[in-house]
Amino acid sequence: MADIIACFKWVIDEAYLKSDSSGKLDFNWVDYKLSDYDKNAIEEAVRLAEQKGGKVTAVTVGTPEDTKGVKDALARGASEAVFINDSSFVNLEPSQTAALLADVIGRLKFDLIICGEGSSDLYAQQVGPRLAERLEIPCISYVTRISLEDDFIKAERKMENGIEVVIAPLPALITVSPQINTPRIPGLKDTLAASKKPVTEVTADELTVSNEPLLKTVSINKAAMQRNCSYFNNDEDGIVQLVNALQKQGAIT
Amino acid sequence: MGGIWVFAENQENTLELLNKGQEIARDLHEKLVAFATSRTMAENYIAYGADQIYLLPPLTEKEAWGDYLYAIADEAVKLLPAVILIAGTMRGREMAARLAQKLNTGLCSGCINLSVNQSGQLEMQRLIYGGAAVQTVVCTGTPQMAAIPPRTFEPAPYQEGHPGQIGELFLTPQSSVKIQELKPVVSAEGNLAEARVVICAGRGIEKEEDMEMIRRLAQATDGQIGCTRPISEELHWLPEDLCIGLSGQQVKPDLYVGVGVSGQIQHTTGIRESKVVLAINRDENAPVFEVADFGVIGDLYEVIPKLTDELEKRK
Repeated sequence: MADIIACFKWVIDEAYLKSDSSGKLDFNWVDYKLSDYDKNAIEEAVRLAEQKGGKVTAVTVGTPEDTKGVKDALARGASEAVFINDSSFVNLEPSQTAALLADVIGRLKFDLIICGEGSSDLYAQQVGPRLAERLEIPCISYVTRISLEDDFIKAERKMENGIEVVIAPLPALITVSPQINTPRIPGLKDTLAASKKPVTEVTADELTVSNEPLLKTVSINKAAMQRNCSYFNNDEDGIVQLVNALQKQGAIT
Repeated sequence: MGGIWVFAENQENTLELLNKGQEIARDLHEKLVAFATSRTMAENYIAYGADQIYLLPPLTEKEAWGDYLYAIADEAVKLLPAVILIAGTMRGREMAARLAQKLNTGLCSGCINLSVNQSGQLEMQRLIYGGAAVQTVVCTGTPQMAAIPPRTFEPAPYQEGHPGQIGELFLTPQSSVKIQELKPVVSAEGNLAEARVVICAGRGIEKEEDMEMIRRLAQATDGQIGCTRPISEELHWLPEDLCIGLSGQQVKPDLYVGVGVSGQIQHTTGIRESKVVLAINRDENAPVFEVADFGVIGDLYEVIPKLTDELEKRK
């Protein structure tokens, strides 16, 4: 038996992020999604619970609008959800999210916490390690394979200089890389089942943690990446001209 | 104050941080402090601009690099550094986040640029929304911390006769994470991050056999092969470590060639430092053309063989 917590975040889908002619970001048309690597986190938690028995609790911090995300997480196989929910929980920086999660998760019983390696929107990769520090449990990040035993976890992490195989006693926290699994795509049946699963809402007045940001955002601007594309024809002559241009630019020798 | 601290897993990344660290140390009138795991390394860092070195004992095979966290955190509590810069290798990113938590301060991770503003604060830039936007942050806690990806800055210049002191730190292992094994990964494909020419395979390639065409183009340009996420993650035609993008490899070649690459923002963020970007795609509306210098709109199965032949002719 294993009680597993999977943390997730409901984020802006960057594929729908547009900018106006002045280069300002336009958030009017955005859609939301479950953060990509959190799908891997939930998937891994659900697979472990299927193998070992036990339950998966999906936990998130967000605003009342993020209810869709809670449903999505449940449709992906989590047994229940904890929704730390307040209209002020918007644009949180990682230390704040970790503090809120730690406050609530610290009251739960668990063997393993799984987070995605980073979120699709900020990709700060801090919440997992910060949460582990707050809870004073071992942290293993960028995990690509795990085996869960009764009182310890063995994990592989793909580092720059090789695959590091580590063991740590439970309870522990891991952050997972996308290579760990391919998340299932929830079907209609899963979505229907999700609406019957228990959701515990935790509101701001039930929290004991002070929540001042330690990182302040000064500005957010569109990343200037635009280049002026010169086109070449898809024929012998066009290719010759293209290679000439590449040589002239010093792109090839 | 307790100085500007730089810490990295290896010598190369330490020298890069020393370069930026010197600039910040000068602006904030602080000394520059680095961490080393051998005396030779310590003396080397001094010659590249460090004023003070803390010598950390080498780790045993079972000890995780993250164990240095405790020694550094204890020292930071005592000495109150103004700034800590950590090289954002994977281990470094985890270390930085845990250290920031222990010191109850903010951390700019994935920091691609930083400078001291008029009020003496570090303004730090990072990419968000898959690279679509740049977020500028300041840290309201102390120390101000940043995790900086490898190769963001050039290595520090050598300074003949630069003076510095060496002190020793002791390790009190407190981590319960133990290393069982480090399996080396042999990448047959060479070093993508350092490659001068990168040929990137995208989802426009229809069959695994067609990767041969990409290999031929790579040979003709003396380039390295990389790919977009679907090629490695869904199709497994190439290993994961050849995947280019914000969460994969960041490349800085003289020439990047996107073959059948559509140009999702997650991917193009990994190629933004390329000198010349060439895109080949049959969809004229593919977003990759917005970030390309040169483009050919056409079937890659026609364009690539012609391009390869022309390049081979001129070799």
